[in-house]
Amino acid sequence: MDNGITSYCRITNKAVVVNGEKHTIPRTDSAWLSDIYHAENLSYPKFFKMDNLAKAGFLGAELTLQDVGIDKTEPKKNIAVVCCNRSSSLDDDTAYQQTIQNPADYYPSPAVFVYTLANIVTGEISIRNKIMGESAFYVMEHCNPQKFCSFVRGAFSDKTIDACLCGWTEYNNGNCDVLFLFVTRNELNDLELNIEKLYR
Amino acid sequence: MADKLVVTGMGIISGLGVGKNDTLQALLAEKSSVGAITHLQTTHTDIPVSEVQMTDEEMKTELHIPQSQLVTRTPLMAMIAAKEAIQQAHLQENKPKRIAFINGTTVGGMEKSEQFYLDFLGNENHKEFIAAHDCGAGTNAVADYFGIFDMTTTISTACSSAINALIIGANLIRTGKVDAAVVGGTECLSKFHLNGFNTLMILDRETCKPFSKNHVGLNLGEGAAYLVLEKAKAAQQRGVQPLCELNGYANFCDAFHQTATSPNGQGPFLAMQGALADANLQPSDIDYISCHGTGTGNNDSTEGIAITRVFGEHIPDFSSTKAFTGHTTSAAGSVEAVISILALQNNFVPANLNFSEKMDEVDIMPVTKTKRKEIQHVMNNSFGFGGNDSSCIFSKIK
Amino acid sequence: MEELITELKKEIIDVLNLEGMTPEDIDSDAPMFGDEGLALDSIDALELIVLLEKNYGIKLANAAAGKEVFKSVRTMAEYVSKNRTK
Repeated sequence: MDNGITSYCRITNKAVVVNGEKHTIPRTDSAWLSDIYHAENLSYPKFFKMDNLAKAGFLGAELTLQDVGIDKTEPKKNIAVVCCNRSSSLDDDTAYQQTIQNPADYYPSPAVFVYTLANIVTGEISIRNKIMGESAFYVMEHCNPQKFCSFVRGAFSDKTIDACLCGWTEYNNGNCDVLFLFVTRNELNDLELNIEKLYR
Repeated sequence: MADKLVVTGMGIISGLGVGKNDTLQALLAEKSSVGAITHLQTTHTDIPVSEVQMTDEEMKTELHIPQSQLVTRTPLMAMIAAKEAIQQAHLQENKPKRIAFINGTTVGGMEKSEQFYLDFLGNENHKEFIAAHDCGAGTNAVADYFGIFDMTTTISTACSSAINALIIGANLIRTGKVDAAVVGGTECLSKFHLNGFNTLMILDRETCKPFSKNHVGLNLGEGAAYLVLEKAKAAQQRGVQPLCELNGYANFCDAFHQTATSPNGQGPFLAMQGALADANLQPSDIDYISCHGTGTGNNDSTEGIAITRVFGEHIPDFSSTKAFTGHTTSAAGSVEAVISILALQNNFVPANLNFSEKMDEVDIMPVTKTKRKEIQHVMNNSFGFGGNDSSCIFSKIK
Repeated sequence: MEELITELKKEIIDVLNLEGMTPEDIDSDAPMFGDEGLALDSIDALELIVLLEKNYGIKLANAAAGKEVFKSVRTMAEYVSKNRTK
């Protein structure tokens, strides 16, 4: 546990930090998010079907959960998944728009369209980890620790929820800005301060 | 009773008309609003939809907004629906201490962005519409119009957005963050999602046939609807009459696939079961289920299976009203919440239109003609892509 | 036919984002859907329908029609060979 939170992960365009430790990510010609996937030795081929936002959220959740020790195969209802960001699914919306922009080359892509919904991110995280608790996606102007915290508290108002996998999951136009946390009920008191510290 | 959450106002706009009365009359007359596309400028004229029969200009006039002011269709519909709810709850004359506006939308200002996209890229024309694109921009436009909100946020969880907005608003009241909340959703049609749903091959080229063996897909719709929520004691202190109680709600994740529901309807099952537990009710207490019932094979069979798992031998009267309003996506949860409460208040079960015969996958039959009966408790389901499944229960106040 | 099969494999890898796969990794006769082989899902099927139209001018009426066509890469190639308009 670091900073009063069970586990966290911070991913920006420059670095990946998990519980205070900076991870080395060798750069290749591939995209940044693919480099992270390979550097972390993950094994989940469906990753490559996701759009950038889902990849960013998936990585944030995956790295946050690395040392938490939850069983990824056992269905669980006592964990909530709460994400928020500024741009919603705009990055993928733009990609989808390209497929219907030109009347002469007009082929809407179903796989791209699927990701034009921000909450597919919470869906992908839930599918990967068999999490069946409450899930929600909020859109707000900036990563406001107070608002973020109130949404997480809201999830805990359900007494059956023991933990919340939550994250600021922003990806738009090449800009990756992710802070993911695994928070238990007794870590709520200092959550706002901790989010503020870790997001900086 | 003092701590119970109650609904003190509601408003709606959809293909069925403007306001609760238009909606009620259409439901009782069994009159579907699904038909040929007239407003949206698309080449897909063979795809039936439900459209709000007001232009943006007409809505601005109704709202006393100058025509020159930039407001896109999604927030315009929201303002009309929210106005009806806010007026009914007397929120402006008798303002609760802290009010939240929780708004569900996914399209936002996109119907303008797609129109002006090439301009955005190539020239200075229509640049002012860029700022109106965000879902949050629409929420802010609505909040600014009324000027009574202390907190706003936007929920974007696809077809479960509006029920989730209701859940968030309820949680904020329950945890003491606000005293009242205006909650719901709004969505206008756009070429973007019309083409998207078309490429997923889940649209019906005729009016949809929920829960029917010959169902082939859904019809898209547009609209907006909002509820005003507050604690019973607060309503009493403000001197407003509650319409009903928000008795329980739940949200669970199906965790199976990005767009399809698991074969045994696990997410929907957990959501309905969770709402019952939250309301401290038994399955036998439910008098009517307002289903998600989109008319797609996957939804209807999995929702049907989930219903049999929750209710066993004694399946309550149920119907989908999506053949009336189309699938209003981010607004569906609140459009159908208003319909559920109208059913509760007026003691009738709306008809599940276009039903011909039972599905092969599950042996259940919806109510196919408007049914008059006493309703104490009504359940309302909305299931979104991403496996985001929600259910809520409204009850008559004893 | 073998040339078309290889061409299809390249397109499938590209369009379905099958990271790290080469045409040599795909068995021409293995089932594409279900639990073995490529383990493609319903969204992948829809993307293949778009591929047929975009690259070969073949329009499938509904998702169900894809079941027989996409049994394996070979059945897909045979269908394309018979019905292509591009």
